[in-house]
Amino acid sequence: MEIFVNGAPRQLADDLADPALPLLWALRDLLGLTGTKFGCGVGACGACTVHLDGEAARSCVVPIGAVRGRRVVTIEALGSAEAPHPLQRAWLAHQVPQCGYCQSGLLMAAAALLAKNRRPTDAEIDAAIDNVCRCGTYPRLRAAIRSAA
Amino acid sequence: MKRRGLLVSGLGAGGALVVGWGLMPARERIGAVDALPVEAGEVGLNGWIKIGADGTVMLAMNRSEMGQGTHTALAMLVAEELDVALARVRLVRAGADRLYGNVATMVTGFPFYHPRETEPGHETTAAKAGQWVVAKIARELGINVTGGSSSVVDGWDVLRLAAATARARLIGAASIAWKQPAGELVVVDGVVSHPAGSSAHYGELARMAAATPTGDVRLKRREDWRLIGTAAPRIDAAAKCDGSARFGIDVRLPGLLYAAIRHCPMLGGSPGAVDVAPALALAGVERVVRLGPYGGSTAALAVVGRTWWHAQRGAAALRVEWQQRPAGGLNSDAVMAHLEERARTASSAGGGFAFHSRGDLARADAAAAQHVEQTYRAPYLAHATMEPINCTARVAGGKVEVWAPTQVPGLARAIAAEVAGVAEDAVTVHVTYLGGGFGRRLDVDFVGQAVRIAVETGGRPVQLIWSREEDLGHDFYRPAGVTILRAGLGADGLPQTLRITSAGDAITPRWIERGIPALAGPVDTPDKTTSEGLFDQIYAIPHQRIAHVATLSGVPVGYWRSVGHSHNAFFVESFIDELAHAAGRDPVDYRLALLADAPRHAAVLRLAAERAGWPGQGRSRPLAPGRVRGVALHECFGSIVAQVVEASIEGGRPRVHRVVCAADIGTVVNPGIVAQQIEGAVMFALSAALHGRIDIAGGVVRQINFPSYPVVRLAEAPLVETHLIDSTRSPGGVGEIGTPPLAPAFANALFALTGKRLRELPLRL
Repeated sequence: MEIFVNGAPRQLADDLADPALPLLWALRDLLGLTGTKFGCGVGACGACTVHLDGEAARSCVVPIGAVRGRRVVTIEALGSAEAPHPLQRAWLAHQVPQCGYCQSGLLMAAAALLAKNRRPTDAEIDAAIDNVCRCGTYPRLRAAIRSAA
Repeated sequence: MKRRGLLVSGLGAGGALVVGWGLMPARERIGAVDALPVEAGEVGLNGWIKIGADGTVMLAMNRSEMGQGTHTALAMLVAEELDVALARVRLVRAGADRLYGNVATMVTGFPFYHPRETEPGHETTAAKAGQWVVAKIARELGINVTGGSSSVVDGWDVLRLAAATARARLIGAASIAWKQPAGELVVVDGVVSHPAGSSAHYGELARMAAATPTGDVRLKRREDWRLIGTAAPRIDAAAKCDGSARFGIDVRLPGLLYAAIRHCPMLGGSPGAVDVAPALALAGVERVVRLGPYGGSTAALAVVGRTWWHAQRGAAALRVEWQQRPAGGLNSDAVMAHLEERARTASSAGGGFAFHSRGDLARADAAAAQHVEQTYRAPYLAHATMEPINCTARVAGGKVEVWAPTQVPGLARAIAAEVAGVAEDAVTVHVTYLGGGFGRRLDVDFVGQAVRIAVETGGRPVQLIWSREEDLGHDFYRPAGVTILRAGLGADGLPQTLRITSAGDAITPRWIERGIPALAGPVDTPDKTTSEGLFDQIYAIPHQRIAHVATLSGVPVGYWRSVGHSHNAFFVESFIDELAHAAGRDPVDYRLALLADAPRHAAVLRLAAERAGWPGQGRSRPLAPGRVRGVALHECFGSIVAQVVEASIEGGRPRVHRVVCAADIGTVVNPGIVAQQIEGAVMFALSAALHGRIDIAGGVVRQINFPSYPVVRLAEAPLVETHLIDSTRSPGGVGEIGTPPLAPAFANALFALTGKRLRELPLRL
């Protein structure tokens, strides 16, 4: 099976590419893209958030059978060392991460929000970003999103 | 039994060791170069510092980074004394040498002295002696623990002195080479120069420095610091914004297999008959491994697969006849009822272990004008670290390699050796970034499991990952507790007597049984964590008895961010608020009246109250309609924190809008990280105050994923302000100190709003 990840077609080993395999595990265990994290397995925490045709999607509950022909973007391609995404700059300016585990998912969720809504209100940010961060980086990430908006 | 042997011989040889060790000065912990292996081009200068050929300063990093910022803070201490930019410090793996043990966490944890007995400059002889003995034992044991908010406390003198010593030798080398007095040499970002023109970077001087005597070493004067005290950006932040930071779960090795796990759903139970055929029939499933109880875990079955999803699907397909533990299924309701009965009996009979008593309670109680007695309760809680529990292991050729997000690499090494049947020096532990720890990763059950599975995989590495359901269902939980508080107030409304009787399981004896079995004694010694925050409560009350009844519920219990303080602060600071109201006094004024002899505590409370606009404290600020304030003050981990919470009820549910924190943490190494930690601790505590409870019925935990174990998300997150007292004392703890005051400050606000006193967590209107 072939899926389209970060701008390139990627082959998945046929014997493991069960159409029910969640995208999260295809990314992590078959393609070695470990920036996307496992948190709950039921789409409840957002640690596994990626972009699917530009929309935020929780990859732990998206089977690869539903990804064929669609564009997947992960944290590894949100920006680059030379040209980081404005949110990545804002994240550093506000020193958001603590343990850092949920930050990929948060950045992807926030980037999808800003792509649709250039100037979200606080209420719109709160409604759109419902990822879990156990370190409690919420006040800083809210400020970072506002500064990048 | 090796560890116990060490301990006993250390004590037995006390007299001889006393002479050599003095009062455990930091210089005894700088260590020799052989503790820190060097690679080609590198030169070791002591047990902590080596220098690369390009002048890079390499620091042996013994503490785990789990979000608390300790890698940055400890690197700052070294960069400061060596006069290099923070970016020039590279962290390298600290090995298993006892040098890298944590002395501070044992010294503050084991002899339970009242903080006033250990106040710097005013220590009692008994406290000094007790701490000295524990420091010696801790040094001898060398247990490497990242916990107890102790990393900077422990590293403060040692790392600065190790770096200053290295610097003195580098300067000494330049002085000899250039025949110039050391006092005329200057260092700028690792380049030593003399006004006459000579110049060389550390890499060029290192080899000669290693052969140069240390000479006089002086730590920098506080006024010369250029890095300590600044909000330097975290050294781990960039990798945590682009997906490149490597957590335990991200370890990738050639031929890596993945393992999923199913514990017996009943805590302490085990698998009986197992039909593995449905699992092995699935594509991508390789094998099934039976796992006994490792490091205190419940027995389990693991399924090995080619991706974690395949393994997990196999685990779900196993048909197992689970067996209840022999003593019968655990029930949290029954535990709570038992705790209440034990607390009540002990309270009326003066029972339990008295961690603190003073004065003449019977006489003072008889003279009291008014008595207040209340019972408070707290539930079991899970840690729910964002990174699910995981460990990667490879067992091949008589060697074991472990990659683990752990707070205790030495204990991980010990259990790996035991499970694989090899000597400890055949085991290498690589500590990865931790996706949260909060105390959960002080246990090594998952390391034992991963190594056991790796024994079966023919030399191929295997990565064990627990699902979130397994994590929440098989944690080492924050113990439940019931506490009865009773005070007698004088005619002025101030308490003359205070009796506190708490009941709940002790953590430390259970943790030692699981993680360091050789140190477990035949009977439990009193565990300070049960009563911390109660026996050392901060207010001047002349007659006190603070006791705890240690129970054995059978529920696996562990250390949870701020440990005993996490619920004890709720009990005592809510109760003090009750007393203030019973006396008809303002809660801030009332507390200040009890802090006449505690100027540091009073200053912290005043600062929080002023910044929050508390009426009567500086410039009071009106609140938005429907909002109220509540206050709490607490001392823990060597630091003092006050919080003023601004709360309301929205849609019938309690809500926190703003939290103003003031803290005296002694010397501040990095105020940016301190603010981060306090914000995070507030959110952690708010999750517990609003939502947190683990219920157990028939041995099965009821809350097994985020929908049923809710935590605070962005929409519920308050604004947090942090104000720090300027101090020149040695640093106190940071990572846990923001957690304890939140629940009582919140509950006190809700009382001010509704007149209803909430005496049980989580807070329900």
